[in-house]
Amino acid sequence: MNAAASYSRGRRVALGLALPLAALAAWEISARIGDVPSYLIAPSAILATTWEMALSGELWRHTGQSLLRALGGYAIGGAAGIAMGLLAGIARPVERFYDPIVSLTYPVPKIVVLPILIAWLGAGDASKIAVVTAAVFYPTFINSLYGAKGVNRLYVWSARNMGARPLAVFLKVILPAALPQVLTGLRIGLALAFIVTVAAEMQNSRGGLGFLVITAEDSLRFDLMYAAIVAAGVIGFAGDRLLVALRRRALAGQSVGKEGANA
Amino acid sequence: MSDGGIPGAAAAARGAAGRAQLEVRDLVKTFRRGTRTVEAIDRFSLSVNEGEFVAIVGPSGCGKSTFLHILGGFEPYDGGTMLLNGAPVRGPGPDRGMLFQEFALYPWRSVIGNVGWALEVQGKPRAERIAAAERYLKLVGLSAFRDAYPAELSGGMKQRVALARVLAFEPRILLMDEPFGALDAQTRELMQEELNAIWQQTRNTVLFVTHDIDEAIYLADRVIVFTARPGRIKDEVRIELERPRRIDVKKSAAYMGYRNRIWDSLRDEVLKAREEFR
Amino acid sequence: MNLAAAARFAARWYSVPLVLAVWEMLARTGAISKRLMPSLVEIATATWAALENGDLQFHAGISLGRAFGGYALAVVFGVLLGVAMARSRAFDALFEPIFSFGYPVPKIALYPIFIFVFGLGSLSKVMMIFLECLYPITVNAFYGMRAVDRVHVWAARNMGASERQVFWRVLLPGAAPSIFAGLRVALPISLIVVIITEMIGESRGLGYYISYASASFEYATAFAGVAAVAVMGFTLDRVLVWLRNRLIFWERGAAFIGGA
Repeated sequence: MNAAASYSRGRRVALGLALPLAALAAWEISARIGDVPSYLIAPSAILATTWEMALSGELWRHTGQSLLRALGGYAIGGAAGIAMGLLAGIARPVERFYDPIVSLTYPVPKIVVLPILIAWLGAGDASKIAVVTAAVFYPTFINSLYGAKGVNRLYVWSARNMGARPLAVFLKVILPAALPQVLTGLRIGLALAFIVTVAAEMQNSRGGLGFLVITAEDSLRFDLMYAAIVAAGVIGFAGDRLLVALRRRALAGQSVGKEGANA
Repeated sequence: MSDGGIPGAAAAARGAAGRAQLEVRDLVKTFRRGTRTVEAIDRFSLSVNEGEFVAIVGPSGCGKSTFLHILGGFEPYDGGTMLLNGAPVRGPGPDRGMLFQEFALYPWRSVIGNVGWALEVQGKPRAERIAAAERYLKLVGLSAFRDAYPAELSGGMKQRVALARVLAFEPRILLMDEPFGALDAQTRELMQEELNAIWQQTRNTVLFVTHDIDEAIYLADRVIVFTARPGRIKDEVRIELERPRRIDVKKSAAYMGYRNRIWDSLRDEVLKAREEFR
Repeated sequence: MNLAAAARFAARWYSVPLVLAVWEMLARTGAISKRLMPSLVEIATATWAALENGDLQFHAGISLGRAFGGYALAVVFGVLLGVAMARSRAFDALFEPIFSFGYPVPKIALYPIFIFVFGLGSLSKVMMIFLECLYPITVNAFYGMRAVDRVHVWAARNMGASERQVFWRVLLPGAAPSIFAGLRVALPISLIVVIITEMIGESRGLGYYISYASASFEYATAFAGVAAVAVMGFTLDRVLVWLRNRLIFWERGAAFIGGA
């Protein structure tokens, strides 16, 4: 079944690089020959602009602003989601309160309230952080809830049997047992945080990478636009890798299982 | 078998105990685990006669299941020959009916759909398929559950459905890989009796892998004891208990004699296998 | 009328009217400026008005069409690609890095380029939805195919099933639950993307409708648009769950949660 395992590593890497490199090469060559629309500037030029902007500090400023919004909302929404999710997982009344609300609003894209949030909180950081918070809350809540509910009863019973108090049971048994799924929720939430931040900044904002993409496009500064897109991609990717590395450390010893399956 | 009877009767008529139906010679299997290679089976030879019930017992991890998987054509091997009715074994095929410990029933097919599937695969007409499936469901005593789905059945019932499914495509030899290993002790005992009764009617050639000595003695004509890894034949015991066997044969002195002998030769291997994990 | 059943129903759903009541109280007492937070009655009136003049249906129809178009494309190509990657080492090696590296990247940032390539109208939005939905669908189809129980495949081969039969009768049904999990993750993504792209640059669709209404300080109308999106999201999700339970009847009780 697992045919891929028998491919040699070198061959896999070479094949994996084939499509992206071919696309980049085709792009570079056609951009140099000049027979393409103006928005397709050469990748080498994009790289140069990105570098230049990084040196000038302008790119850092916008990246910092996006990071502040994404991580701010992520921290609030994630903390609330985990706390409420775990609580709902161990206390039936809390679950009963959240269950109908969450199941009714879960499939609704949280970004719809952005224009209203902007009206309430202004076009600055607060409205972005608020919408990111809402978006991050759901996956962390649901995964923490299922994580806490799925804890093997026998673990709890055996801890009680050894004389553990409720708080100790929660901290020493339920929390570690639910951790893998909590981290899955955090991973989904992080990806959402970046997507929603960039999307919200594109819609209405002053500053931030999404804002930079849109204003650069409006003023036909395509090199600037690509630099912002590259930066958004890099922080999204780096954030995810960081979280995966943290997860691996946190779960060392436990079987990490299928990481990418549902994330 | 167009006469619609149970094929075992015909198999018995072909000449019960006589020429070898399965010939395994010097089978070798190695696994690669990272950089080092592990010998799973080392020059294993076995010959099984038509209509014979052979059980293989051994410590866990000794390669006895691997042997069945190789014989079933699911896993490759590294040396030796395997002849079934004189023809070399190559890849999976319906001449060898495999029964898995995990039942391997398709959850999206009803009981009758599972039992009749092999005939569907072979392109048999619907009426024939249903008739054959119903005949074998009756044989395992599950006619009443023909339209149920696997999720609705108990473990013992699932394995009976799986047995009916394998019998329905009339393989020349049955390969059973710890078929009752996932069942509780009581169900297991009942299933052994049931299999014994069914075999009494069909007289299939059977290769039965288990780690349960009692199961092996009760069911088989011959018990083969595997060594700890790499798997090899350590001992071979012919079980000359009268057939048809009733369950109280397990109380007889002859039975206890077989049990002691097999357990003695298995014990060393279990200890050796345990040593390897230290 | 069964009293116990009514009590159970109330215990199950009480929090929804509770939240709405808190909203109404906040709006009525003016704890939050009435202009910013319209009362439920005002929202209902605005919704009714928008339904009566057909605005809501018009914009919802456009958003729904775009979301559905991109989603359907992603389903077709995502499942095909995921299956191909699971079946062929070459496909796997070619595409795996694109999916594992591209997954956490906010692809919505590419939208301006999509506007240049596909224009300001529906096509750029459909393609953006396609791209965002393609990821979870492909990845779930891939893992689903890979995770099919080995003995199921072996049992089929044992009966003499051909490769084709194994694929259609064993691998595909075996992977179906995972494929549906991907479809469920992708569904809200399709709505997110259609709404956000309509908010950025468009004169039609619910995203435009909501942002236009709130930019003109018509908050009750904006909430009417939000309510329409909520109903759409909830209904589509229910339809998908219903479809899934019909098709994958053998796992009806199993948990079916998506990601996003």
